[in-house]
Amino acid sequence: MTCDRFRSRFAPSTDDAGLLAHARACESCLAVAIERDPDMLFRSLGGAELIPPGGIDLFVDDVMREVRLRTTETTMAPRPVSWTRRLAIAATIALGIVGGAAIYQYERATGTAPMIVHRVALRPVTFDSRPAVEAYDSLNATIVEVPTEGVEDVRMVMVFDDTLPADL
Amino acid sequence: MGAELRLMAPVNEPVQPDDRLLVETIRGGDADAFEQLVRRKTSRVYALCYRIIGNAEDAKDIAQLVFIKLWENLHKYDTAYAFDTWLYRMVTNVAIDFIRNRQSRENAVNSSLRLVKTTADAEQGVAVQRKEIETVFDHVSSVLSPKQKTIFVMKEMEDLPSSEIAKVLGCRESTVRNHLFNARKLMQAQLEKRYPEYAQLWRGRS
Repeated sequence: MTCDRFRSRFAPSTDDAGLLAHARACESCLAVAIERDPDMLFRSLGGAELIPPGGIDLFVDDVMREVRLRTTETTMAPRPVSWTRRLAIAATIALGIVGGAAIYQYERATGTAPMIVHRVALRPVTFDSRPAVEAYDSLNATIVEVPTEGVEDVRMVMVFDDTLPADL
Repeated sequence: MGAELRLMAPVNEPVQPDDRLLVETIRGGDADAFEQLVRRKTSRVYALCYRIIGNAEDAKDIAQLVFIKLWENLHKYDTAYAFDTWLYRMVTNVAIDFIRNRQSRENAVNSSLRLVKTTADAEQGVAVQRKEIETVFDHVSSVLSPKQKTIFVMKEMEDLPSSEIAKVLGCRESTVRNHLFNARKLMQAQLEKRYPEYAQLWRGRS
């Protein structure tokens, strides 16, 4: 398109691709276009297809590399286990447990079971102590007090009395 | 906006399979077909990302992310609809998310930036003019919400009609027009404040 043709045909708000392309490529015609249609100021920036930094080949190579990488990752990712497969795994585990228990019971019954060390739980035992003789009064008794070696030493008293029961 | 931009020269491409046909082939497990699709859509996807995000490296990363998401979600695409609409929806979603995250990180910086001419601007011609307008746009559009900016870019730079933008964003056409109106208003205020010489130019339409 020649500049003369452009200037004779250009009108504000045009959508004519040829006119827009010319205005975007020709400096003097762009000035005329902006005069007639102020929107052409920023419309002049459009239209042309742009090439990314590094060129289209490098751009496409980068995209395809990433796509192939993601495709490989998707292929290698662990696949979800189906419910039938899960059921089969659960059945195998249950069978193992039941079988093991049956063998154990059989060997125990036939006495060939291996020696088992039983663990004994230690429980605290509380002693309920009360005096064997609650009331004592005797004139025949002989009471001997063992001398202590210190203030905190236990005081020991021995009672000799024939009237007391023998198993006391 | 410091990255160098190169315009893609128009080429006579051989007849290629329709996008939908290509998608069906990819769904059959053909990775080469996906590569063909990426190659076909890279320029437009990158351009949209760049215009929304405003940074070449970030736009490249986001565009690559879009294609990876495309690969992972291609089974969700309904071939009854236009492939580009579906693709654009993915681009805008990812780009808007990125801008929101970036905004929360940076919390609206650049408030006092002003266009500074560099040595590269000493060159003459359309490239310099575009670069300068790009910088102006980058600054004044920083006040827009991610959605407003996306709509503005799709309407003014990608030349998409409002009806198509509504389909891409999954909203009503009136919502698109409303966002566009507000975007222009905000940008006009920014232009007057920071670039009065450009505000004079742009005033007519806003």
